[in-house]
Amino acid sequence: MAETENNNLLEEIIDGITSWSRINSPWVVHFNSGSCNGCDIEILATLTPRYDVERFGVRLEGSPRHADVLICTGPVTRQQRERLQRIYEQMPEPRFVVAVGTCAISGGVFRDSYAVCNGIDSVIPVDVYVPGCPPRPEAVIDGIVKLLTSLKQAKEEQVA
Amino acid sequence: MNNGNGNKIANKFVVPIGPQHPALKEPEHFEFTVDGETVIDATARLGYAHRGIEKTAESRTFVQTLYMMERVCGICSHVHATAFSLCVEKLAEVEAPPRAQAIRVLVAELERIHSHLLWLGVGAHEAGFDALFMYSWRDREVVMDILEALTGNRVNYSANVLGGVKCDVTDAIRDQILTGIDYLEERTHHYYDVVTTDAAFLQRTRGVGTMTKEQAMRLGVVGPTARGSGVEQDLRVDAPYAAYDIFRVNRVVEQGGDLEARFIVRVKELFESYRIIREVLDNLPEGELTARMPRRIKEGEAITRVEAPRGELFYYVRSNGTDMPDRVKVRTPTIPNMASVLHLAIGHQLADVPMILAGIDPCFSCNDRSVRLKSAGGDDVWTWEKLRKYGIDYYND
Amino acid sequence: MSLEERITEARARLEPLVESIEQPAPDRIDATIPADKLLDVASALIKDGWSYLTTITGLDLGVEAGEMAFLYHFSAGALLVTLRVHVPRSEPIIPSVCGIIPTATLYERELMEMFGVTITGTPNTERLFLPEDWPAGVYPLRKDFDPSQPEIVVQKDAAE
Repeated sequence: MAETENNNLLEEIIDGITSWSRINSPWVVHFNSGSCNGCDIEILATLTPRYDVERFGVRLEGSPRHADVLICTGPVTRQQRERLQRIYEQMPEPRFVVAVGTCAISGGVFRDSYAVCNGIDSVIPVDVYVPGCPPRPEAVIDGIVKLLTSLKQAKEEQVA
Repeated sequence: MNNGNGNKIANKFVVPIGPQHPALKEPEHFEFTVDGETVIDATARLGYAHRGIEKTAESRTFVQTLYMMERVCGICSHVHATAFSLCVEKLAEVEAPPRAQAIRVLVAELERIHSHLLWLGVGAHEAGFDALFMYSWRDREVVMDILEALTGNRVNYSANVLGGVKCDVTDAIRDQILTGIDYLEERTHHYYDVVTTDAAFLQRTRGVGTMTKEQAMRLGVVGPTARGSGVEQDLRVDAPYAAYDIFRVNRVVEQGGDLEARFIVRVKELFESYRIIREVLDNLPEGELTARMPRRIKEGEAITRVEAPRGELFYYVRSNGTDMPDRVKVRTPTIPNMASVLHLAIGHQLADVPMILAGIDPCFSCNDRSVRLKSAGGDDVWTWEKLRKYGIDYYND
Repeated sequence: MSLEERITEARARLEPLVESIEQPAPDRIDATIPADKLLDVASALIKDGWSYLTTITGLDLGVEAGEMAFLYHFSAGALLVTLRVHVPRSEPIIPSVCGIIPTATLYERELMEMFGVTITGTPNTERLFLPEDWPAGVYPLRKDFDPSQPEIVVQKDAAE
């Protein structure tokens, strides 16, 4: 009995540590669902010295299997729809989605074209929307930080 | 640094363009057939960013279409808008005023600078030179600041309106541009040194992806890719548009035909752009920024070709007397260059393919497609990232 | 070569082969030719590398007009020479130019999937831009294309 109790406690602790470190240092995977690349180059710029998103503990990673956050651009073209779904499915929970740019939010100037799905949330649930055409790197970072902050708050409320 | 599977990754980060996941079944966008290490056939399926733009233009007004055309490509947004505007102005028989045309040239050259520096960084990353990526993108921020001061946006500047431009050059902006250009020119000397003398860089570029002048012309490549093979072709010179008949450009042509030559062309074009910008600022015509445009555009056809950073950009616009276009046809420079690259890859080592592709400066979303390799041993699907690392490792061993 | 010289040379190459030549703009020369003359005239234009095929524009002139037109644009310095080929909408067939211009395959693939034109002798009939699951027989750039038809409608509302 005591052993089970100890195991549960241990799991809880480990669970707490893992979630906390995820919140403090999220692994981000990027997906372009058919954008003009305007948003993508501003996201890329966040890695460069002037913006240096890594100082917030954000890491851009290659594989969705290790990612906490999916950062998406583009209106979701037909060709990319299924891929987007699969990437999301490959991510372990808890997973979060940031939609960057007007196209990712609503389809932007391409809205209602036969070739697009009108934005990320027509395919997968979105947690944070970062508007702009494109949003500047600071806005992208702000979106990620807001996501992290809301996760921290949710965590604190849970513990309280 | 491990990637979680205990494998060392040579680079510090992954350039976040497009999807990356090895095990996913998806239509292969590039297909290379290999015999051992050598590519014996190559083909491509594009369409990853197919947004149905040409069709959508038929149900938008000319003004709405302008906003859409700016976003065909976020890297060369201005030349798209300029080409479209020039077509509509031709149809309406309206000429944008001289000051507007000069500002179009100014923004176009600023865009060329940002685009070439962007490409320099991405090309460096493809070869495994991440320090050069960081430096060039840091310097690129200077021109991003200038574009933002001048037009209000860092990307998708929307400088054009049908009939002219909507941003103007003040004294303060003029000073900011000149100071920025001075700084960038100094830095560009350093980049020139790297692409022409750094041994590790040259190993990936000298003698790689060579295209003779005859091949380049037969394959119909355009832009710096063509000029690196001695083809004397630059629309700003051959068929001047906007204010390029007043602010004359010198073609930058190299004879080497290999990747090194293409790098040199783009770096030298930066110097030429700095010169043009100074000339424009010294001789900016006074006057209006816009000419009156009718809302309904009379029936007709217009064609405009402009020199985008990547080469010849082609626009065809057909009007039918209403306020909506009847047909808009866009042919970006990456299409003919892509076709040429597929031809060129044949006979090369697989390890050279990432750099050959980077050398044409494609819209870099094309660089992260999945790749199918067909060989005697069977079919295999790689991610672009795997192909890129294969190239880096091949030359590091 | 100046623009004037280009125009003179264009006329010299075209006159023996075509019925009529127009100059719709100072830097443009147009010639309307039947489909079976396409290869001969194209060859004359690209001989000695004097010009190159820039792209091919497809036009659906409408159900009423009953015709489609294909415009082959050849760049010769400042001059653009366009060969115009009209075909009946009910049976649109044109010959491939890939035999003399191998890189035209990308343009021809686009025409086939967007207009439903048959291009005889073209080496690659795979789709270029449209996705795998796009229904056969549906051509987006035709004027009677209906984006609301059920086979191509894709979910555009927020995912559940």
